[in-house]
Amino acid sequence: MDRAIYIAMTGAKHNMLAQASHSNNLANATTTGFRADWEQARAMPVFGEYYPSRAFSNTERPATDFNDGPMVETGNELDVAITGDGFFAVQDADGNEGYTRRGDFSVTPVGQLINGSGQPVIGQGGGPIVLPPYEKVEIGEDGTISIRPAGAGPNEMAVIDGLKIVNPDLQNLEKGTDGLFRPVEGEQVLEDDPALRVVSGFVEGSNVNPVHELTNVLALNRQYELQVKMMKTVEEVTRSSEQILRMS
Amino acid sequence: MHKALWVGKTGLEAQDIALATISNNMANASTTGYKKERAVFEDLIYQVQRQPGAQSTQNTQLPSGLQLGTGVRTVGTQKLFTQGDLNTTEQPLDLAINGRGFFQILLPDGNLAYTRDGTFHLNDEGQIVTASGYLLEPDIQLPEQTSTITIGEDGIVTAVIGNDNQNVIQLGDIEVVDFVNPAGLQAAGKNLFLETAASGPPQVGVPSLDGFGSIIQGALETSNVTIVEEMVDMISTQRSYEMNSKVVSTADQMLGFITQNL
Repeated sequence: MDRAIYIAMTGAKHNMLAQASHSNNLANATTTGFRADWEQARAMPVFGEYYPSRAFSNTERPATDFNDGPMVETGNELDVAITGDGFFAVQDADGNEGYTRRGDFSVTPVGQLINGSGQPVIGQGGGPIVLPPYEKVEIGEDGTISIRPAGAGPNEMAVIDGLKIVNPDLQNLEKGTDGLFRPVEGEQVLEDDPALRVVSGFVEGSNVNPVHELTNVLALNRQYELQVKMMKTVEEVTRSSEQILRMS
Repeated sequence: MHKALWVGKTGLEAQDIALATISNNMANASTTGYKKERAVFEDLIYQVQRQPGAQSTQNTQLPSGLQLGTGVRTVGTQKLFTQGDLNTTEQPLDLAINGRGFFQILLPDGNLAYTRDGTFHLNDEGQIVTASGYLLEPDIQLPEQTSTITIGEDGIVTAVIGNDNQNVIQLGDIEVVDFVNPAGLQAAGKNLFLETAASGPPQVGVPSLDGFGSIIQGALETSNVTIVEEMVDMISTQRSYEMNSKVVSTADQMLGFITQNL
């Protein structure tokens, strides 16, 4: 049987995988701090005894879209969004550091600052941030967290810690299976960059462009139909060659 | 089957919950002491289809792999305890807390609940009760013939008995409680909240002292829902839902197409 049918099959299969990637972006169109994934297909020539005239398709996730998401005002004093570059440092399930743009913070009963996914937020000291009982909390432009302790007057603001905000090389950053970003090579724990700025009372939305994703979903659908058409054509070709053999 | 079908489904579910949250906020836009909620989402785990950096041959490496996300998940709904506007009503038993804190309410089963809704009434025995008839804790009993009742910013309740303005008696004080993480309280309906492991234990205090809010007599705290914000959220939720449903139908068409044509 002609191998063209297998080539068309990989095309259709990888169209489906690409579809999954775009639909994941769309599903997370309203997830706080979500970064969309790029998807691309690569031609993989098949080398063998013959000319390398065939090429399988190969879907990849080469990178993540690091463009900024929309700023959504919430008025919640613990919501923080990064203006411009940078990532918050949080603790992942293994206790290691991971990086995220997600800034919808809240406090646990023991005062630990966590983000919307429940990951503890790491401070400039390198450990998780713990807030003592407070009456009012303010997060400054540089990430400094100051509180008015419960029962204290307005002139008794105390600086507790600061948010650790890092400025990694985006080329060297990869999204892990838990959705957190980590450097691919080199030091896994990055240094705090004091030059980065945040704004409190806002969260950063998802940077998914729904029009782009939906257009891709529709385009992939048509491409998939072409692959199936190709398989059908191969089937017809096989059938006609059978017929020729029967006549002779 | 088609991955995108399931991923699209998680997106539909998430937007469904978001819309339910928004509509509950809208429905309670004029509920006294209501605190708005927002649905919190996170991306589900990613599946590694092909490991980046794996050897494609003995001498070459795959420059990038394929990791596919599996959709979105609702982590929960978070109550936002920002202060609502204070609405003056001039009713002596309407109380608002300006700042942090909750009133304590004794439930019929003996447990305590907490509320920001200060619409209080008197029952047939002269006790201060909520609109549902539950007692305010600690219990305040008004004597017969009470002509005026005054509740101070620090919660002290005094009453004037009869026509004699000299006959002022102190009836008790209203305490307020606070939580480390009010967002962790469980909403129980009837404007009441219950303590949970996430909220931490209640800390009882005197209003206006130690960081607790002050009690304002003759005012009510309105809901902190902003209609404009909810409307905008509703529109974007609807569009997002439509797009996710488009993914589901597209994935279905792809499967349908191959079964019909091959």
